Amino acid sequence: MEVFGQLAGGFATALQPINMAMLFIAVVLGLVIGVLPGLGGTSGVAILLPITVFIAHGSLPGSDATTAIIFLAGIYWGALFGGVITSILFNIPGEPWAVVLLFDGFPLAKRLGKPGLALASSFVSSFLGALVSTILFTFFALPIALKALEFGPAELFAVFVLSFATLIGLGAEAPMKSLAMLALGLLLAAVGFDTITGEQRLNFGQISLLSGISFVPVTIGLFGIGEILASAEEQGIGFVENISARLGLRDVFEAVRELRKRLRLVLSNAIIGFFFGVLPGHGATAASFLGYGLARQYSKNKENFGKGEISGIMGPQAAADSAGVASLVPMITLGIPGSPTSAVIMAGLFIWGLQPGPVLFIQHPDFVWGLIASIYLGHLLTFILCLLAVPLLAMIMRVPYAIITPFIVVISIIGSYSLNNSMLDVFITVIFGVIGYWLRKMKYPLAPLVVALVLGDSTERELRKALIAGHGSPLYFFNSGLSTVILVLAIVLVLIPLIRTIRARRRGAVAAAGAGSAAHP
Amino acid sequence: MRPYQVATAAAIALIAAVAMFDSRAAFSPSAGTAPGDVGARWYPFWAATIMGTAAVVVAYRALTTPQAAEGVFEGSRSLFAVLKLMLPMLAYAVLIGGVGFRTTDFTYRIVPPFGFYLATALYMGLFAWWLGRYKVWWVAAIAVAFPIVIFAVFEIGFRVSLPKSFLFSSGLLPF
Repeated sequence: MEVFGQLAGGFATALQPINMAMLFIAVVLGLVIGVLPGLGGTSGVAILLPITVFIAHGSLPGSDATTAIIFLAGIYWGALFGGVITSILFNIPGEPWAVVLLFDGFPLAKRLGKPGLALASSFVSSFLGALVSTILFTFFALPIALKALEFGPAELFAVFVLSFATLIGLGAEAPMKSLAMLALGLLLAAVGFDTITGEQRLNFGQISLLSGISFVPVTIGLFGIGEILASAEEQGIGFVENISARLGLRDVFEAVRELRKRLRLVLSNAIIGFFFGVLPGHGATAASFLGYGLARQYSKNKENFGKGEISGIMGPQAAADSAGVASLVPMITLGIPGSPTSAVIMAGLFIWGLQPGPVLFIQHPDFVWGLIASIYLGHLLTFILCLLAVPLLAMIMRVPYAIITPFIVVISIIGSYSLNNSMLDVFITVIFGVIGYWLRKMKYPLAPLVVALVLGDSTERELRKALIAGHGSPLYFFNSGLSTVILVLAIVLVLIPLIRTIRARRRGAVAAAGAGSAAHP
Repeated sequence: MRPYQVATAAAIALIAAVAMFDSRAAFSPSAGTAPGDVGARWYPFWAATIMGTAAVVVAYRALTTPQAAEGVFEGSRSLFAVLKLMLPMLAYAVLIGGVGFRTTDFTYRIVPPFGFYLATALYMGLFAWWLGRYKVWWVAAIAVAFPIVIFAVFEIGFRVSLPKSFLFSSGLLPF
């Protein structure tokens, strides 16, 4: 019952006027970011990260690091909800996790003429999914963190390897491309002074690179500028479907009635979404597709999917929002980001002078429990704002491209410059923007690159500490039962794509043989 | 798509080769400061090796797997849409700091530093005029209003000092 006391303390922190004010601003910003097709939750959080440095250092009266994390996380909650509005009303996903809503959300709004019901169904299921996930977060976080406190360098290194293996083994893109991006992230993290020996490396004589490549300009470039360039290309091709919508109380009540009919689906998807979101590198997008698949698999009305089936909205939304919340669990408890967005938030913790991971629970309980309480409040606030402000949010889509696009570039440049007052960071942002855009086109996943860039230093430090402890013997990693199990699990995960390929080839060979014997009886 | 896939993988492999060369001291007997320590170069060397190997496999697969005959861009319209955004953005970043080079005695300026605010006015104005096709007073309003609002929010509100122009150093402008 210790949890309830700490959660009450967290609510006392989160309910302070400055924290509530920043949560409100963040949620509104997140909703706007979610609605804008050229800007995602990750890039929004990355672009606004430098501002949180000033918030964390008390530039605003009463603000501190807790205010900063509430602000950053609030943007994410807003973006999680906001991305669906454009999918349903304009047939344009505002966020990657809202792509799945094009299948049934837009048809329900357009073909069946019920945009209000489509939006309300999405919001109520998102809210319930997030609520379930936050409750699980509340009860799981402390035990995981307390267990993680017992970890030595071997176990910590094994956990990092497991998170990398998850990105390779369970990623949607080609495993070799994931591996290349992962290694690139590790390599970029190694630029500059070696933290153990103080030796210079990979700086090619450049003094400006001695302090390493900062995470923030790279992420703003990859996600902020990269997404803007990608959306510029779509603007060149695409067209916009447009449905006007007003959300009435009748729609909300109808959505709640529909939710009661699908309560089992929504709750089970929320729980599955939570455990899926905890896995590093996946987050809301993969969970949304999983949620859609499950909703369709167990539906009695499979034939209605793709034509405006409400389960096709509620199932993925519950899973996506649940996974979005859950992606913060490994970041807070173990210091391992569960998604690119949580990697950016984790970088924020470093910048504010905090060490993400189990020690946070001991050294800064106000910070952790304030964050957890703010997740409850943030989702409630987002839900209410969504119900009230859909017409206003939909209007944002009408801000001309010639203004919004350069404005996002300008904000990205401010974000990358202001952290270190460095023009080098501005050039890094622009260059990585172009690189990120190209890598996206070539179907290289960016999540492994970002996660490895954040975890690179810690991974190397724990690896070398373990090797020193084991006098150079790699067998040291197998001295502990826990690290052995984690490493074996990591190997299995890396082998999954290989097994999949072999099985697919066998199936292909059998099918070819079958076709051959049919042709020549 | 194939040549682009191969070229991208080759570029990644090249970066890996450069990093491996820079970390070639990984196997020096003097590496490391403590018994069992692998030294500063070992980790980047192996990260680069993994990256290079993965890139070679990607290139090999791109060469040997049948690929759809689609191009990278869906027509010239989408390519120009990207270039219209990319090129002004690169110019904007360069304009902020200006262009010049330094010798031991002098700094030569080819383009003076426009600073953040002047460069932003030009950049936003260009988009409004070129892509938005707004009337000239709208273009002027956008070019003036955005830098002023950003100055108020960041310079005064958050006390973030952004790069100033050559006109600031001569006392002609407050930014």
